[in-house]
This record gives sequence, structure tokens and C-alpha cells, in this order.
Amino acid sequence: MRFKTFLAFVGPSLFLMLIFIAAPLVTVFWNSFHITQPVYERVEVETCTPGFLAPTCTTSVVQQPQLDDEGKVITETTFVGLESYRNVLEPDRFFRAVENWDWNTVNNIRFWKALRFTLVFTLLTMPMVVGVGLLIAIVVNGTVQSIKGPVIFISLLPFIITPVIGALAIRWLFIGDGILTQAMEGWLQRDIALFAQGWTIEILMYVYRVWHVAPFAFVVFYAGLQTVNQDTLESAIIDGASRFQRLRYVIIPHLMPLIVFVMLIHLMDAYRVFEEVIGFSSQAHVISLQWLTYDFLMPDEAGTRAISRASASAMLTMVGIIVLLVIPLRRAWRDQRGTAK
Amino acid sequence: MSVPKSLRPPLRLKVLSNGFLTLWCIIAAFPIVWITIMSFKTPFDAFSANPLNVILGPDTLNKVDGLSLAEIAVGIALAWLLVLTARNWLPRQVVHYTPPGMIGFGWLVAALVFGIVTLILYMSVLPGVMGFVNPLLGPLGHDVLGLTTEHYQAVWVDRNFTRNFGNSMLVTAGVVAISLTIGTLAGYGLARSGTDLAFWLLIIALIFRALPHSVLVAGYLPVFIKSSEILRPIMGDAAPTLYGQPWAVIVVLVSINQPFTIWMLRSFFHNIPAELDEAARVDGCSHFQAFRRVIMPVMWPGVITAGLFSFLLAYNDFLVTSLLLDGQNMTMVPAIAGMFNRETTASDEVQAIAAAVSITAPLFVLVLVFQRQIVSGLTAGAVKG
Amino acid sequence: MKLKHILYAGALMLAGTSAAAAACENTVAAKSLTNAFPAYVIMTDVMKSCGNFEPELDKDHRLKLQDAFSTNPSLYTIAGVANATSVPLFEQELVRPLDDLIAEHGQGLSENQFIRVDGKVMAIAALFNTQHLMYREDILNDLGIAVPTTWDEVFDAAEKIKAAGVVDYPLGGYYKSGWNLGFVFINHYLGEGGSFLDENNMPALDKDKAKAVMERLKKASSYMDPEYLVSDTTFVTKQLQQGKIAMANLWASRAGAVNDPAESSVAGKIKMASGLMGSEQPASTVWWDGWVVAKNIPDEEAEAGFKLIVAAMDPEVISANNDAAVWLAKGFTPGPAAAGAAATAQAGAPAYPASKAMAVMHTALGDGLSAYMTGDKDADTTLADIEAAYLTAAKEAGLVQ
Repeated sequence: MRFKTFLAFVGPSLFLMLIFIAAPLVTVFWNSFHITQPVYERVEVETCTPGFLAPTCTTSVVQQPQLDDEGKVITETTFVGLESYRNVLEPDRFFRAVENWDWNTVNNIRFWKALRFTLVFTLLTMPMVVGVGLLIAIVVNGTVQSIKGPVIFISLLPFIITPVIGALAIRWLFIGDGILTQAMEGWLQRDIALFAQGWTIEILMYVYRVWHVAPFAFVVFYAGLQTVNQDTLESAIIDGASRFQRLRYVIIPHLMPLIVFVMLIHLMDAYRVFEEVIGFSSQAHVISLQWLTYDFLMPDEAGTRAISRASASAMLTMVGIIVLLVIPLRRAWRDQRGTAK
Repeated sequence: MSVPKSLRPPLRLKVLSNGFLTLWCIIAAFPIVWITIMSFKTPFDAFSANPLNVILGPDTLNKVDGLSLAEIAVGIALAWLLVLTARNWLPRQVVHYTPPGMIGFGWLVAALVFGIVTLILYMSVLPGVMGFVNPLLGPLGHDVLGLTTEHYQAVWVDRNFTRNFGNSMLVTAGVVAISLTIGTLAGYGLARSGTDLAFWLLIIALIFRALPHSVLVAGYLPVFIKSSEILRPIMGDAAPTLYGQPWAVIVVLVSINQPFTIWMLRSFFHNIPAELDEAARVDGCSHFQAFRRVIMPVMWPGVITAGLFSFLLAYNDFLVTSLLLDGQNMTMVPAIAGMFNRETTASDEVQAIAAAVSITAPLFVLVLVFQRQIVSGLTAGAVKG
Repeated sequence: MKLKHILYAGALMLAGTSAAAAACENTVAAKSLTNAFPAYVIMTDVMKSCGNFEPELDKDHRLKLQDAFSTNPSLYTIAGVANATSVPLFEQELVRPLDDLIAEHGQGLSENQFIRVDGKVMAIAALFNTQHLMYREDILNDLGIAVPTTWDEVFDAAEKIKAAGVVDYPLGGYYKSGWNLGFVFINHYLGEGGSFLDENNMPALDKDKAKAVMERLKKASSYMDPEYLVSDTTFVTKQLQQGKIAMANLWASRAGAVNDPAESSVAGKIKMASGLMGSEQPASTVWWDGWVVAKNIPDEEAEAGFKLIVAAMDPEVISANNDAAVWLAKGFTPGPAAAGAAATAQAGAPAYPASKAMAVMHTALGDGLSAYMTGDKDADTTLADIEAAYLTAAKEAGLVQ
């Protein structure tokens, strides 16, 4: 295929990605090394605000941004090097804590707390999603033809349901004296408050994610199972392979590319974990990297955003995912070399 | 299909696997079923501590309305009938009545019609008929189960949720159409080009796929709000304010979704033998002609699967739509989230639950109708990594 | 059953229909951006009935407020703002002085509704809000407890209620990590007469007072549902409605809902009392919510917007929705629901000290305090970390050098 034809095919898609993904990314990169702030002046202001019956007036000196002739705020942009990164990473404190083996302090620095959770979340849910997905796929595949349809249908529900709604639904079931919390209380004969401590919220988040994503793994694997070579399977039986051996030596190798595919997708999605933090309002106990960036970006009541720290945290998040992707990417690179030759 | 005896599972395994399946189905369906039940009760019952109260709804029965045993029986029978129709009769009709090549569109129409018919049956035909029959049935006709559709009425009529529904449909349709058009072209181009450039584009797309969305989206907001001021030097007075425009959101969602779409379609095209289009090229076709004549007829399974994923992304999106759309053009998901997040009362919350169930319903129909396509599309190679 | 049905539906409809009574006509297209709580729904419904008006009700309205008003022409004609959200609009002069418009159209407004900056009216307040005690009268009477007025008395009462075991938890509190938790701390700390910042915007928390407040928060939390760090105002309202708690210091704007028979299983049993006293002044702050008119719009559009604001606060509208809020506009007769708010204001509750630097401090407090509440950090470390977090953020915003 000539370069021009290739460009004609890929062009529109590339153009959109450049404008809406690459360009914002460049500004994020730039912002992470700069700080833009308004130029403030001190002025004395008298403000009157309503009371229940009569207004109260106060006079105070406040800092106000200076405005130019057009009424726009005058801003100053300065290059600050790695300061925003330092503010996010808090390296001094981190290294001091690491030297003293003080895990608690490390876990109290927001970035490291978020990183810890994000990595544990990603690496712990991955085998669970693959395992549960595979199990359902194998069991469904071995079941009677007539109930396959309904079972697949029900299995797909957690995957298609709107994530925000799904998280909220789970929350209703568990928060306060939610119906499932009560069921557990009745079963274990003790008072349970799942949203009162970090580890229970964390477990709930894992369970929610597996519930939500395992169906995707399941359909992919189920589709893969339909293409297992029956001859191989039969010859394995003739060779006296047990059920487990057939699974281990015939089915799993056949599904391996799909397992890698599911793992890769899950790696990327789980690393961006965000809905769970919002849906379970877990920020007191558990935060994730994307949530940290989001939190920096949200303006406070008076409209101040921490753009520079948000950008630094976003860049660090991106570096993290590239590190995690290096292994699969190297594999892809070798494959590419292989097919090109 | 006959299974060789040696492949038949032993009894213990059978019991075990059936038990597991039952358990899984309960886990998978329970939250959705439960919020559906809650949405039909008064706030009193919906948030009751006693699960039986939630299911039976004594307060609802007392204050508003209820169902009789006969109505429940008829309702379940009707549901079963509808499911059977959707799985067997409907696919045949679609295949029969749609011209080849338009199959995706045919399915869409079928799904829509099916959804509307279901709604009419349950909302007006069934209550109408049963209101007439109930008094004749004696004890079977007495109301036993508290149930009210007032929250649905409040959501769809008073709160004007139809407008949100329309916006959701517009955004979703736009995203699926554009995403598939340019994604298919790009996927094909990437699959047929063995150059390093194509490879690096894919890798970069993969990294884009992994990016946290909040990073990108929060960057759009100020630019979108001020776009008419920013674009004025270039476009003059025609410069649009992008904030609040559904089409701007469509473009953003398409872009965010592109990496996944092109990866998926590239793998799919990769599995279509290159000899096919090469043969066409030998016959004197250009790349585009080869694509149109040879590839397009065989690409539908993969495209439908990719389309479903685009649909889910656009329909379920919260971050982009909540930040970049204004109240008039709000889609359903942020509208519902908004119902929860403001100073709510308990009846607001049940209304929000009703809305949440409402937006799940189209997804329900979608899966019901497309289930076979999903599996066959994935089998056809869209996911062979 | 039929009759009940109709009555119930009628009760539900009442709130919606009573609003659209005002006589007004609007010919210039106008838009508004406001928060989404019931009072704004009522007011924007009136505006909608005037025609040519599109409201946007969004609880995250602050995300776009500043950008939307700084662009030219402004995306919205009018906006609903509160103490804190008005700060950036005022200081960047994105809203217009209203004195001329008031002289022309604002005869129905009262002086107490005007928010003045340097003598010029910049916003028109619609309602008043504060936090005060709501308690179960029946429980307190049964146990012979006098209505608490200080936090120590609340703890005594809570102890007795706990011992009696009549409710799940004696106390409710909106301690949700983030803005809510920070806000609770600010209220208590102001009640002790503490200050947050010096005149150079440097953090100046009084450590002893802050620690005393933190201990009090922790003590209060021991009487609450252990999931207090995820509980927001709606959650506490629901706890009150379902009879799970006996007392809560809650936003006045919720006073109507807790006694609403359609939602509350204990309707009529909940009474309002003054906000609890700190050692110096009430541990509550006074808030206003009201309207501003954009600067970057043509004068005629501004005039139309202002007329809409006046129409929305017509005495008839206010009296028809008397219990939906503690209104500042004419036509409001304080009922039992407003008793707590009135008592709190009379006891001298301070206004929330809204400023740019304070907003940064609020965020630092809200994020930092949860580590203390969960027991991850001790009080000294928590306070030091909060000051450090404030300094980092304030430096980035250019508020301190």
C-alpha cells in the first residue's frame, strides 16, 4: 500500500486523535513545568451580606486579581521546572519514610497512597477477572444447549449496565443498612459497617470491578471456545488425557491470545480506576491515580484549580501506564518484526 | 448435537457446574433486579430495612396501588413470550425483510420497534385489560403486591426525561456512525500496511487508550466554553460556542473511542485473508474500490461488534457528557447522576432509581436482540489480538 | 383506595403547581446557571412561565461559572450564587452593579437582600441558610432530656439516648470526607473564636483550639453510624426520616423535608432548635443564596434578566412556597421549620468567611482531616500536614509568596 493511500485511509481517524488526544496531552505536558497565576493586589473592601433580619457589613483587606483595560485578569506564567512534580511526589518525606520503614507515613502521602491502591487494584483484579471469566465460559460451554442463551444474556448484564448506575446500585445494597449488609449481619450475627474502614471498601471495589468486567472476559473466552479444534480435543481423549489435562494442554493454549487480550484491556481499564472512588465516595480511605488528578483539577468554591499539580500527576500517571505496558509492547514489537520478515 | 460418551461430564461435575452457574446468574442479575423492584415502590418501602417490605410493598399497596396474583401471572407469561419472540421470531424477520448490506440498520429498527411494543404492552394494554378482568376473579383479583409507576411518570412526564432520552439517542447514533466509518477505514489501512509507521501508530493509539479520561476532558472545558471568543479571529461571527453542543460531544467521544475501535477492527481485518483484496487489485481495482467491493460485504460481523462497543461507550458515558453539555442538551446518565447529587429527598432518589432502570431497559433490549451477533462477531476474529 | 390515591397524587403535585402563578412576560432570550436545590427549582419555574427563558440547574455549576461569565458574550444572563461561589465573580468584575436596575424595577426587594461590595449592590439574595439542631422531641421528652444548647450537652444527651437504646445511633453528622468534613470543622472552630489565616494569607491555625475541635469531632463521631465519613446531608436527612437517629446539627434547608409526611416515618416528631454554641459564638455559619447578572451582555438582556429575578421573588410565589426555604424576600412568614434558623441567627452566628484563600484552606482541611478521623494520623501531624497542603496550593494559586 502506498503511503498516500495509507494516509487517506488512516487520515480522518488520525486527525481526530491528534486534535482531541495528542494536543491536550501536549498542553498538559507544558503545564506540568509551568505555573500560571493571577497578579494580585491588596485592596480594602466593604461587603454587606444579608442576616436573618438585617444586613451585616464588614470591612476587610483582601487580595484581588488585577484587571487589565479590557477587564481580563492579568496573569503571569513562570517556568518552575520540576516543582509541581515535587509537590505531587513529596520525595523528601517519601524517602525519609522509606529509610525508616515507616509504611504508614508513605501511605499518608496522597500520591503514593493512590499509586499503592491503583497498582494493587490492577494486579489483584486481573487474575480474578480472567479466572472468573474463564470459569463461566467453560461451564456455560459445557452446559445444555437450551439454557445457554438465557445464561449468556444474564451474564452480559453486569457488563452492559451503565458503570455509574452500577456503582450506585451496589452502593444502595451495601451502604448504611443496605439490604445486603443486613443479610450479612443476620448471617454473621454481628454489626457490620462496610463503608466505615478502608479495607472493606477496597474489597467491595474489587468485587464490583470483577462483577462488572468478568462478563466481558466471559464472552471473549466463550467466543474463543467455539473455535477449539474438536479433532485435537478428541485425540487428547484417545490419548487418555483427563479433563484437567485437556483444559491445561489444549484449551488454555488455544485461548492464550485471548487471555492476553483480556489482560491487556483490563490492565489499561483497571489502571484508570475512577468510577469506584466516586461511586463509593471512598476518598477518605482509598483514592486512585486518576481520582487524584481529577481532584486537583476540580475548582474549589472560589474557582481555584491546581492545574500544574494536576498536569504533573497526569504525566506521572501516564509514565506509570507506559511502564506497565512495556512488557506487552515488547511482545507486540517482536511479533511485528516477525510478520514483517 | 451428540456428545461422545467420554466427553459427557460425570454427575458430580454436573451438579457442581450447575450450582456455580446458578450462583453466578444470581450474582449477575441481583443488583439490577433489586433496583428495578425498588423503582416501583414508594420511598417508604424502597428504603425499608426489611427485604420483604421492599418486595411486597405494603406501604405502596396502602397508599397507591398494587398488583393482583392474576396480573402477576399474566405479566410473567407475557415476559416469557416476549423473550421467546426476541430470540427466535425477530431475527428471522429481520433477515427476511432487510436488504443485504443494511443488516445493521435493520436490527436497529427491529430493536426500537420491539422496545416500544413491550412498553405499550406493559404500560397500557396490560393494566387496561386486567382492570376489566380483575373484579371477575375473586381472591385472585385482589391486590397483594404493592406497585406504583408514579416514579416513572414523574421522571418521563414531569421531569421531561424524554428530552434527555432524545439527546442520548442523538449522541449515541452520531458516535456509532462516525466512529465506525472512520474507524473501519483506519482499521483496514492499518491492517494492510506492514510498515513501521503503522505499527507505531498502533502503539501510540494503545497508549492513548490507556490515558485517564479526566485528564483530557477537564482540559476541554475552558476551551469549549470560550471557543467563540477563541475562534472569532479565524471564523468571524460564525464562530460557534462548542460548549453544550451535542455534535461537539460526539466528536470528542469519537476521538476518545478511536484507539479501541481501530485496534479492534484492525485485528478483524487482519484475519480476512489479504489474498481477497489483492485479487481484486489484480483485476484493476484501486485500494478504495477493493475495500468497497470485496471487504465491505464480509466485514459486518466485526463492524457490528465494534459498533456495539461504541454504542456502550457513548450511551454510558458520564465524564464527557456531564462536563461538556448544558442542561438543555444533557444526556440521560449525567441527568440521573444530577438527580442524586443535589440536595435530594427520598422521593427524588426513588425517581432517580426509576430513571436508572429506564436507561438500562434499552441496553436490555439491545443485548436480547444482538446477543448472537456479539458472540459470532467475537468468534469471527474481532478479538484475536 | 382510589381516594387515597388521588389525595397522595394531589399532595405530590402541590409543590409543582403552586409556583407558576406570577404575572410576568419576558421577550428577550435569557439563560440562567444555578445550583439545583428545590428553592432554585421553584424560582426558575416561575422564570420559565414568563417565557423565553432557559434555566440550567446543576449542582456542579461552580465548575463552569467563572469561564462561562468571563467569555464575551457571557453564556448566561443570570446566575445563582452563594457566599463562596460569588467570590471569583465579584473580584474579576464579571457581574454588573445592580443599583440602577433596582431603582427602576426593584421596588419589591428589601434592603436585607442586597449584597453590597464597596457600597454597590452586586447580588440579590433570595434565601438564608445556616445549620442548627434538629431533634426528636418524643425521645428527648421520654428520657427527660432538656434540649441541648452546647456540644457538651449534646454528648450528655447522646449518652443517655445510647443507654436507652431507642434508636440505632444517637447522633447524625454530615462528615463526608472533602468539603463537608472541612465545613464541619470550620463551623466548630469559628465557634471557638479561632481564625484561619493571617493578613498575608499565611496559615495561622490556633493549634490548641483546633485540637480541641478535632477531639470533639471524634467524640461526636463515636455516637454516629460508623460510616460517617461517607455520609452527606442527604444521608443524614434520610437517617432522621427513618427514625435511625435522634439528633443532628443539620442545614436549615432540610428542615422541611424531615417532617414531610410523604417521606418521613417520624413526621411531626422532629423539632428545630438553635445551632449549638461554641465557647465564643454559635458553631454554625450563615449563608446566603442569590442572583447575579452577567456583565458581558447587552444592557437590554441584563434588564430582562433582572426583571426575571424580581418576578421569581414575587411575594405571592414566596408565600405559596413558604416552607421550601428560609426566604429573605418579602412574603415570607417564618414557620416552625424556620425556627431553628432564626434562633441561630439571633444567637449571633457568623457569616461564612468566604475568600479565595479560605476556599483553599477549606479544601486542605476537608482532605486532611479524614486521616485524623480514621486514626491514620495524630492531631499534630494532621494539622501540620493541613498547613503544608494549604501552603503548596496557595503558592500555586499565587495567594502567598
